[in-house]
Amino acid sequence: MPTTATLTDRYVETAMRSVPEKQRPDLSAELRASIEDEIDARIAAGDSADAAERTVLTELGDPDALAAGYIDRPLWLIGPRYYLTWWRLTKLLWAIVPACVAFAVALGQVLAGESIGAVIGAVVPAVISVIVNIGFWTALVFFIIERSAGDKDAGVVSAWTVDRLPEKKERGAGLSDLIASLVFLALAAGAVIWDQLFGLAYLTDAGGWLPALSPALWPGWILGLLALIALEAALAVVVYVNGRWTTATATVNAVLNVAFVVPLLWLLSREELLNPALFPGVIPAASADTVETVVVTLLGFGAVAIALWDTIDGFLKSRRAR
Amino acid sequence: MSETEALDTHLQELRRGTTVLACLRLLQEPGYGYGLLEELSRRGFDTDANTLYPLLRRLEKQGHLTSEWNTDEARPRKFYRTSDAGRRLARALTDDFTAIADAIAGLPEEN
Repeated sequence: MPTTATLTDRYVETAMRSVPEKQRPDLSAELRASIEDEIDARIAAGDSADAAERTVLTELGDPDALAAGYIDRPLWLIGPRYYLTWWRLTKLLWAIVPACVAFAVALGQVLAGESIGAVIGAVVPAVISVIVNIGFWTALVFFIIERSAGDKDAGVVSAWTVDRLPEKKERGAGLSDLIASLVFLALAAGAVIWDQLFGLAYLTDAGGWLPALSPALWPGWILGLLALIALEAALAVVVYVNGRWTTATATVNAVLNVAFVVPLLWLLSREELLNPALFPGVIPAASADTVETVVVTLLGFGAVAIALWDTIDGFLKSRRAR
Repeated sequence: MSETEALDTHLQELRRGTTVLACLRLLQEPGYGYGLLEELSRRGFDTDANTLYPLLRRLEKQGHLTSEWNTDEARPRKFYRTSDAGRRLARALTDDFTAIADAIAGLPEEN
């Protein structure tokens, strides 16, 4: 059949592309014989040679899929055996790494004295590239494991046992949470008042104790801070009485965090938060400015990180309690 | 998913495995790809060519079939035959299939 042989030739050749060299002669001869047998049978049943060949090859389907069946090659990127492990790992990395990278890049940019626009311009591409890279490399590693391990267990996935069941999550609204919050807030308020009355920073040069916070903050800013602390305490009590976090309490928590962080950043940026007498007193005058910039930046980032985490934590707990 | 699609999927699930059993039993007499395909369909095991050919290959790799090229005729063909291990597998599968058929017969009557 010189006129019809070409399609079969092309089909067999295409299927053999992905078959290991060693199996090719045997497999291609067998496949060709099977195809020709079937074509002959169709011609005997009254089909034209052309139509018979087309029908037979169409029914066999995609030659690459057929070849994959012959040599037991998976037709998926990550199959059911590794899927859950891959997805858990990817989610874990996505939850941790981009946030850390954003924090680190932003900190570096601010310390280098970049403008807010430049900081955002550096953080956004860094975070996007980290997310994409985590997705790609994790999938690639599991893709390779899937294909190299064959039928054997690669040891990446151990058998599931009941011990792996997640612990029941704390709801964050128990008596211990209330006590911890109130004690912490009382200590914070106590520290602020003590700082105003006696000072928290001890400097030999200045001849004793100095307030760490700028004296100019009294009375307005300090009273505002104490009021915020009182509101935080009230919120902790409300959450305890409700017995759980709700969307409303989580929102109030977020608002309080913003009310704390925004003025803090504003004061830091104007260098009005800390006692101006502090830096020249502790450090030699020449490097005082640099050190002050670094300390101020670290304080700002620390405050933002804690406030962000506390806000997210409140919403997570409220969602969990639903 | 429409009712016929669901039916097709379930039938496919149910029949999976019976093709293996049929092949192992039929190939006590040596047979080749297309001939076996015809024989299967004549006996009521409707199988696609692109399922059967890779299956024969897999069974051979597992040692349940042996193969030999027959070049006596104009068209050389690869003939498969059930091995001893294949016969043991066929027996085990037949026993299990009978047990399942009995178990199904013992289920509550359908209305």
